[in-house]
Amino acid sequence: MIKFDNVSKRYADGQEALSGISFEVSRGEFAFITGHSGAGKSTLLKLILAMETPSSGQLIANGVNLNRVSKTQIAHHRRQIGTVFQDHQLLRDRSVYENVALPLEICGYQPNDAARRVRAALDKVGLLNKEKNFPEALSGGEQQRVGIARAVVNRPSIILADEPTGNLDPELSAEVMKVFQQFQSVGVCLLVASHDAALIERLNCRTIVLEGGKLLADQKLRPHA
Amino acid sequence: MSATKRGNDNPNQPRLNRNTRAGQSESFGDLVKLHRRFARGSAIRLLQTPASSLVTLFVVAVALLLPALMFGLNSNLASLLAGFQDSAQITLYLQDSVSEADGQKVSDDLLTRNDIEDAYYVSPSQALDEFGASSGLEGLLIEMTANPLPGAIVLTPSDVSSSAVDELARQLQELSLVDVVQVDSLWLQRLAAISNLVNAIGSVLSVIVILGLFFVVGNTIKLAIENRKAEILVIKLLGGSDMYAARPFLYTGLLYGLGGGILATLLQGIILATFNSNLEVLMRLYQSDFQLRGFGLMSSLLVIVAGAAISWTAALMASLRHIRAIDP
Repeated sequence: MIKFDNVSKRYADGQEALSGISFEVSRGEFAFITGHSGAGKSTLLKLILAMETPSSGQLIANGVNLNRVSKTQIAHHRRQIGTVFQDHQLLRDRSVYENVALPLEICGYQPNDAARRVRAALDKVGLLNKEKNFPEALSGGEQQRVGIARAVVNRPSIILADEPTGNLDPELSAEVMKVFQQFQSVGVCLLVASHDAALIERLNCRTIVLEGGKLLADQKLRPHA
Repeated sequence: MSATKRGNDNPNQPRLNRNTRAGQSESFGDLVKLHRRFARGSAIRLLQTPASSLVTLFVVAVALLLPALMFGLNSNLASLLAGFQDSAQITLYLQDSVSEADGQKVSDDLLTRNDIEDAYYVSPSQALDEFGASSGLEGLLIEMTANPLPGAIVLTPSDVSSSAVDELARQLQELSLVDVVQVDSLWLQRLAAISNLVNAIGSVLSVIVILGLFFVVGNTIKLAIENRKAEILVIKLLGGSDMYAARPFLYTGLLYGLGGGILATLLQGIILATFNSNLEVLMRLYQSDFQLRGFGLMSSLLVIVAGAAISWTAALMASLRHIRAIDP
């Protein structure tokens, strides 16, 4: 589903954010990316979202070669990916409902059909009663959950999440992970950047460790005790 | 952790297979509904900033009004010209030696020609009487021993176009008893030339105005995009195309054009009403009931549609350019 083949990313100022990264995440796989801040986690997610292009190496996600993509392909590619942004990226002048409905609107869903899906997604993150609120009226954790609902509402093939549990207490974090696992079980590929060590430990998922832009470790699942 | 496949019937279940486009709008009605929503959203946004929207609307209206008034004035001139042309006359002054009976005969002969609508003979004594009556010099004229005025034939050509009138005049000049042919069309030609000039100025003004509208609407859209940059960024991150992100701004442009066009037709109505009350006084002095006419339904529609089309195109160009520059 996502295949990094010796991918490096060098920014215009010469800083090398990623160097020689190779790994593959397949359908229905749930992988954490971890590492200190500045290790290249965000750059890696940006590459998959086609916000950046690799400087060298080959990157294929969802069957799209991201080294060479047109604008139209990028737009289409992003519609297949549900992304949870670290800074939420919610629209302040739209209600919770409208924010979550946005990906469906972009894909041209009928309002009735969209409404069912939006409510289902909001229900999953426990915010069904806040659909008329505006993001500013919500707590950081609630905003984050709106972002998660928006990422999953379109039933994407790939879910990317950048610190999705950063503002959530352990209980809510567990809830969100449960939602993610639900998607994993139907074949969605999940890549979650996090440095919540306790959460990663508890979930017992594949963990890709980055350090200084290099792949430090790719820990597979521990065998069940 | 193996991937299991399930049915996709339940909307609560995530779906991987995206070959089906179930739930996406297909019918025309849905598309109309979608666009109506965008249009309403854009209108609401314009109403949220009434002052600046009104200023832009007014600028668009004035820009449309200038060439429209020019063409309106010209169509009034043209109709005025047509009215005068119907009464275009040619006067044949006969040689002094022609008797009244001969003059009458020449006049009757001319009536048989196809290219002459009407002709009547004015004898020298009639001419003298008319001159005396219109000039108020009857007393003085009685003193005169001989009538200095020649006999004349006043005729109305059937084809009043200037080339036809000129040709007729040339032919009449060759008649043996005719001394001078006078065509009263020189001032008509001057007026027609002025009308053409007004038309040309209107055309040039139209080009300038279209460029101006592009600038005004383009700049307004650019500012609107600048204000909603964050939103466009999110839309692009979620996979919205440039065209999708541009749609609200296209409606903004369309609304400015429509609103400006309607305002322009209202303004011209007010302007013409003001002119007409002044014109009426002037025209009464000339015993005319001529009135400036407004745009009429078709011309008003043309102004509104042209405004909307120009403004929409300007919005399209501006929004695609500026939205393309916003790159997540």
